[in-house]
Amino acid sequence: MIFEIISAVLVVSACLAIFLDEAVYCVAALANTLIFVALLYVLNDALFVAIFQFAVGAGTLAILFLSGEMLSEKPARTPPRSLLLTLLFGVFLSLPAIFLSISNPNGAVSGASFEEALWNLRAVDVVLQGLVMMTVALGIAIILHVKKRGAG
Amino acid sequence: MDYVILSLILLAIGIYGLLTKRHLLKVFVSVELIATAATLNFVMLASSLSKGVGEAFFILAFSTDTCVSAVILALLVVVHKKYGTSDIGALVKLEQGKEQKEAEE
Repeated sequence: MIFEIISAVLVVSACLAIFLDEAVYCVAALANTLIFVALLYVLNDALFVAIFQFAVGAGTLAILFLSGEMLSEKPARTPPRSLLLTLLFGVFLSLPAIFLSISNPNGAVSGASFEEALWNLRAVDVVLQGLVMMTVALGIAIILHVKKRGAG
Repeated sequence: MDYVILSLILLAIGIYGLLTKRHLLKVFVSVELIATAATLNFVMLASSLSKGVGEAFFILAFSTDTCVSAVILALLVVVHKKYGTSDIGALVKLEQGKEQKEAEE
């Protein structure tokens, strides 16, 4: 029952994130989506992943709110009728997740635990995260360089 | 495994937004939704098969996603400051007008 409620709210939030006109409301709906995804992880016993999603998602969303405020151009208000239609559309889309089901062909397969997997993949993980950080630093350096050249 | 269907619906919503919306921030939100759908599928399948590797890879995928988001947002703010608009159509028109001016000169 909880899964059905969470999945319905998740799909409605995702629809609102796409269909709402004002950027800040879109970001608020996206925040709601991410929070409910984290709740799904908690329901599925992936607690560490849920905490990670909350922790990293909070920072991302703070930046997103700021950017949304900067980028919003204050369009005309969404009429209540179209808002209601969006909500109904989201509820309609969430119905398959509630009523349909795909059977698990293999059943529960015992594998490496989360701690073992983290430990076994630590070298790859560190190298890849280092690459990601370097790429981000390079990207931001390029952006700042272009901005400085444009200003000068 | 209802999660697969849920993640497919999220993916469909994200792709629809990516294809139809013209505001840059909404395109970004659509990309975030697609990434969320992918990670949801990944974690739930790994969790239902009792594989810890899925959760371990989720951390890498989500960190990467966050870093990419930071770069995209920085680009969006720079574009908005430079051109004064976040609409993709208006940006394309601005660029085309610039190219025409250059060609005339």
